[in-house]
Amino acid sequence: MTSAEQVNRLLALVPYLQSHPDAELGDTAAVFGVAPAQLLDDLNVLWYCGLPGGMPGDLIEIDMDTVAESGRIRLTNAEYLSRPMRFTPDEAMSLVVALRAVRELAGGHLAEGIDSALAKLERASGAAAAPGPQVRVVSGSEEIREQLADAIDAAEAVDLDYTGAGLAPSTPRVAPVRLITRDGFGYLQAWSLDRAAWRTYRLDRVDAVRRTGEPAGDHGEPPEFGPGWLEQRPDAAEVTLRLKPSAAWITEYHPIRAVRQVRGGIEVDLLVADPAWLRSLLLRLGRDVVSVDPPEAAAGAAESAAEALAAYPAG
Amino acid sequence: MNLAICLLMARRFIEKTQIRQVVEGYHDLSDAAFERTFERDKDELRAMGVPVETGSNNPLFPDEVGYRIRRKDFELPAIEFTPSETAALGLAATVWESATQAEQAVSALAKLRAAGVDPDPGRLGALAPSIGAREPAFASIWAATLERAPVRFGYRGTPRRVEPWAMTYRRGAWYLLGQDRDRQAPRMFKVARVDAAAERIGKPGSYRVPDVDLEAAWRSLEPRQPDSEAVLALRPGRAPDLRRRGRPVAADGVPAGYEAWAVSYSRAADVVGEICAHGADVVVLSPQRLRRAVVTELSATAGRAS
Repeated sequence: MTSAEQVNRLLALVPYLQSHPDAELGDTAAVFGVAPAQLLDDLNVLWYCGLPGGMPGDLIEIDMDTVAESGRIRLTNAEYLSRPMRFTPDEAMSLVVALRAVRELAGGHLAEGIDSALAKLERASGAAAAPGPQVRVVSGSEEIREQLADAIDAAEAVDLDYTGAGLAPSTPRVAPVRLITRDGFGYLQAWSLDRAAWRTYRLDRVDAVRRTGEPAGDHGEPPEFGPGWLEQRPDAAEVTLRLKPSAAWITEYHPIRAVRQVRGGIEVDLLVADPAWLRSLLLRLGRDVVSVDPPEAAAGAAESAAEALAAYPAG
Repeated sequence: MNLAICLLMARRFIEKTQIRQVVEGYHDLSDAAFERTFERDKDELRAMGVPVETGSNNPLFPDEVGYRIRRKDFELPAIEFTPSETAALGLAATVWESATQAEQAVSALAKLRAAGVDPDPGRLGALAPSIGAREPAFASIWAATLERAPVRFGYRGTPRRVEPWAMTYRRGAWYLLGQDRDRQAPRMFKVARVDAAAERIGKPGSYRVPDVDLEAAWRSLEPRQPDSEAVLALRPGRAPDLRRRGRPVAADGVPAGYEAWAVSYSRAADVVGEICAHGADVVVLSPQRLRRAVVTELSATAGRAS
């Protein structure tokens, strides 16, 4: 019995194997995103498929002996199925969203390539589909992204004009490695040559990129920047804030480990890697903060607030 | 599979009795089993997007219903890509964090490869974009939007009935734009705030999606346009986010080591929090109301010294 998913795959597999003669079993499985054992099962199903009539000459031919011996697939007698089926709406939309996400990180020629590829795909999948999902990532200017991508390609160190999470400007020298997105923001992942450590820089906070002419050097693979990347930072500390209900917005704007409803508000657990970030968050929340645990974590913000108040005349 | 090939090869509508004779796997079935199997296979093909047409070859006897798949409706049209386009396509396979959507994108790329396109991710090692879909209601709303099926869901505790039009991904979250049936007006919904999976309350394709301007609908959610101006004292080189919305001005009462800037803001936005976040780098000179509000918040934070 064949499932709908398998039939959808088989209808693409037959033209694929005809346009890629002697395709390797493992490579082909990877193209279709299935295990090699599943692909073998697909081939065994195709073995029984073919033109109506079911006479030997009507069936699709696959040399299963060669598949078993050398892992190479040769499929013939299926000229009538030489083109794949149109995209299903789900396939078309998933691909369009993925490309739009790439677009949000790209600059220059690549961005143009994506725009034209999207236009072609939309024509190919027919105008029948609903308006495609838009994707917006906060990733600064296309010009900055292109300069960074060029420096990565050239393996060259750069100086950044950067405004950090604590709102303090800095000019780090970094070896740029890749541009990534996380939770709706674009980041540069780079080896900080000043600190000799991996760092991430929000692209919208990079004000300028200057090439240095110095080689970037090899610093190995950057750490995985997946969900929960903050937890992998050894210097991250957990802080619990008790907040008034009016501060509930922070759960949507900041990475939160846990939220609990408590009497008169909410309690959130945050992982803090950068004290300057917590300081500015507490200053922003002001009276919405009921308590901070551990209490020392509030000291930086308190000092900063006292310093600011000193600039206002008494009364 | 054989049914798909049979209908695809047909130059005219094929009647059910003929299909039963020629398609491998059908002729050994009992009458009832054939009916069941055929109907199921046909429905499955249609659900996959295979355009199975129903019609009659004989205008005089339109009751003699047959089936066919028109090749031009079935096949992916010819499509050619430039090298920078194939490079972008190669990256697309790795973007989705959600396994279900990643499979769909991989399947679409496999079809392109079957059509002779060769997406090449190797050229873009510097870019690693990703898109999540962690919202519990995402799958149900995505499917309803694709199929244009009206849904019912709880939105922050309130029941809503919606005709989904389009989805959009902003600031790391998914949003749905659709017609709110109870309010009889378009509304934008944050998918993370949908209580549980959306429940279908109508057939797929049972409403029309108007030409919507997602961009304009989104702008209506953005912070309001600036309607006020504050004079702030800024430390040199600090608070670039505020500087971007302002210009240097001359003002009285600027503390030593600061420079005066006029900065526009919207009264609807949290400008007090925005200013407080800068600590001693920003001091409000006017208006007085804003100055008092900032002092009140800062005093609360300063009082929290341990």
